[in-house]
Amino acid sequence: MLDLKLEDIDGILVRYNVALEKEMTPDEAAEELYPKDELIYPIAKSIYEGEEEDVVDGLKAAIAAGKKPIDLINDALMIGMGVVSKLYDDGIIFLPNVMMSADAMLNGIEFCKSQTTEVPEPKGTVVCHVAEGDVHDIGKNIVAALLRAAGYDVTDLGRDVPVDEVIEAVVKDKPILLTGTALMTTTMYAFKEINDKLLEKGLKLPFACGGGAVNQDFVAQYDLGVYGEEASDAVKIADAILASGNDIEKLRAEFHKH
Amino acid sequence: MVKKYTSMAYAKADDMLFGNSKYPVKAGLGLEIGAGYTTPELNYAPRPQAGKSKDKLIKEYERITTDAMARMVQIGAPSIVLETEHVEQMSNNPDWGGAVAHAQKTIMEEYHDEYGIKCALRHTIGDIREDRDYLQLRGDKYTTFMEAFEQCAQNGADMLSVESMGGKEVFDYSILRNDTAGILFGIGVLGSMDMEMIWSDIADIAKKNGVVAAGDTDCAQANTAMFIAGGLLDKNLAHTTAIVARAISASRSLCAYEAGATGPGKDCGYENTIIKSISGVPIAQEGKTSTCAHSDVMGNLTMQCCDLWSNESVEYHGEFGGTTVQCWSETLAYDCSMMNTALKLGKGKDLRDILTLSDKYRDPQGYVLAYDNAYKVGQAIAKDGNNNYLRSKNAAIECCNIVEEGINSGKLRLTRFETNALAKVKADLVALTDDADKFMSESLTKYKQEVAVFRPENYGL
Ligand code: B12
Repeated sequence: MLDLKLEDIDGILVRYNVALEKEMTPDEAAEELYPKDELIYPIAKSIYEGEEEDVVDGLKAAIAAGKKPIDLINDALMIGMGVVSKLYDDGIIFLPNVMMSADAMLNGIEFCKSQTTEVPEPKGTVVCHVAEGDVHDIGKNIVAALLRAAGYDVTDLGRDVPVDEVIEAVVKDKPILLTGTALMTTTMYAFKEINDKLLEKGLKLPFACGGGAVNQDFVAQYDLGVYGEEASDAVKIADAILASGNDIEKLRAEFHKH
Repeated sequence: MVKKYTSMAYAKADDMLFGNSKYPVKAGLGLEIGAGYTTPELNYAPRPQAGKSKDKLIKEYERITTDAMARMVQIGAPSIVLETEHVEQMSNNPDWGGAVAHAQKTIMEEYHDEYGIKCALRHTIGDIREDRDYLQLRGDKYTTFMEAFEQCAQNGADMLSVESMGGKEVFDYSILRNDTAGILFGIGVLGSMDMEMIWSDIADIAKKNGVVAAGDTDCAQANTAMFIAGGLLDKNLAHTTAIVARAISASRSLCAYEAGATGPGKDCGYENTIIKSISGVPIAQEGKTSTCAHSDVMGNLTMQCCDLWSNESVEYHGEFGGTTVQCWSETLAYDCSMMNTALKLGKGKDLRDILTLSDKYRDPQGYVLAYDNAYKVGQAIAKDGNNNYLRSKNAAIECCNIVEEGINSGKLRLTRFETNALAKVKADLVALTDDADKFMSESLTKYKQEVAVFRPENYGL
């Protein structure tokens, strides 16, 4: 077989990711971000490492030392997950790490809840679904996982969800945000129907849409639509709603990049 | 009857070349695939509105077929394959699929009669075996699924294919969690079991109707991994993990040919070069010509050993240069013309190497699928060909070894993240048992517990 000389390869292709890789290892970067409190630190670190049992051990130790289980949700678990999300956003760690950390964090939240009768202050609910007729649900699963990881309550309606079922869930759960995923040009039209039915009922909430088939021009055609390209945009949209309200035009100004 | 491959079709990697397969396949109207020339394979999707009724859908496919055939004779292309990937309505209502096949074939026959253009029609039935929440691989839908093949075969389809989904529920869970054993179990074990079942039945239908049982692809799993992995800068999955899933998928997709399929394998099976090395069947491939459907990091390399050259899929609509099916079939046809010229001039192997090398060092996926390395993965599979689990594991480990060699040569440059992911996958693999039964029982216990939608009865377990 013919072959290229080592020095010839760079003229043919450039590994921009290799060229730009950060000097710091993910573990080092995480170390800089952990909280210093000696009870919180091991919990945050175990979340980063995705070690469910270590998270619970850390929580037990903190509770034994007098911390309130309900406070640990925000002060330890969410902080640990915040480290993970930041590293993902900065391109230092990859999605599977986030998924495993999220599993460990959710497990930790369940544990905290089991240790108290107090109820945690909810951050807000997001309803997620895949368009009717569409079974492509991996993108939606990522969206739901990242939202949960960011502390939102997620109602995951699954895939191939009939329009009316989406409307019912919005009526019932009163979410701050609805998300829709579609990977086929044949299924994304369901978003328009959902938009119209929501407006008919006087339900005005941002409807973030994404997935392979969906583009900004399409989403901009219906009143409630906000387009998001990356799964992490769903979290950013929810955060933006909490921070500065659910004005669709404002959200579009921030998230419509094309 | 399933007869497993335990040796290689080619004595050495260098014997593999585009347009040439060990066991060429005759199909349709005068066409022979892998018999010394390459042929474009055009793939298209109807516009969304066209799916509203059976009549509208048939009309749409008639337009598509006529447009494409007309363009092929306008530019003097000697041969063409049309691939119709079913929209859901055509497989759920087998008579729709049959009617579309009939309408398309009628037009193709007219062109063949008038111009002598060699052509064949592939129908790829949708894997409709699922409910909203669960796979339903063996339930009521199986009858409809098989009926869809039957109707197409009776009404004009020359080649039958499917992109089957066995194992995907476990895979979907595992791939987002870097769970190597789950990836292996989903693709290599569950996927293979399902393939053996459906392809025995599809091969019977093909035989009965005198058409070709063509082949499958691990689109549902290995391509999902490839898309999640994405481009060089994406951060959702290591490309080194994605190529391990791909290597395993070769062991899975090979099951079609062991159960009676003869090729050509499906275009989006990027595992096809490995499969060709073991089985000698002709293969379809896609790459730079499928940018209308998705982006990959090996646009030229995939041409290296193709027998059909495809565009994956494009929605039917107008472009400046004609309708999309005309533009893309033309692009494919010129690529084939280039490959066929190289073959005639005795320069086929040079062109093959140029195509391969232009992408080989771009990414670990292309590196492993480069035909020389693909051949080695093939050997690892054939070595334990009788054991679906073991050969899948072999393929995965060989894949890791190949990437390591590439890194050591200095030519394949990877980020630390990718090398770490590789080290993890390899360590996971090496720690696995060699005993297929033990792996099966451990995996059943684990994934029944962890994956809510996993139903062992889908696999007769
Ligand atoms: C994997 C896959 C499958 C798998 C799906 C597995 C699963 N559990 O999801 C299987 C094999 C089941 C499958 C089946 C089919 N598929 Co398919 N599939 C794909 C493929 C190869 C990759 C999709 C994928 O998972 N990408 C990775 C994920 C992570 O990406 P994503 O969902 O877009 O999400 C990202 C972003 O978009 C974003 N995001 C997602 N949602 C949201 C929401 C919000 C609010 C935000 C902010 C962001 C966001 O986050 C993610 C990461 O950042 C695509 C190819 C392609 N070009 O996309 C075809 C593709 C989507 N499939 C296609 C087709 C035609 C089909 C079938 C009809 C095939 C058939 N004949 O049977 C069936 C459909 C059945 C049905 N009714 O749905 C076509 C669709 C064409 C069209 N009409 O538009 C495609 C484009 C392939 C092609 N080029 O022809 N498929």
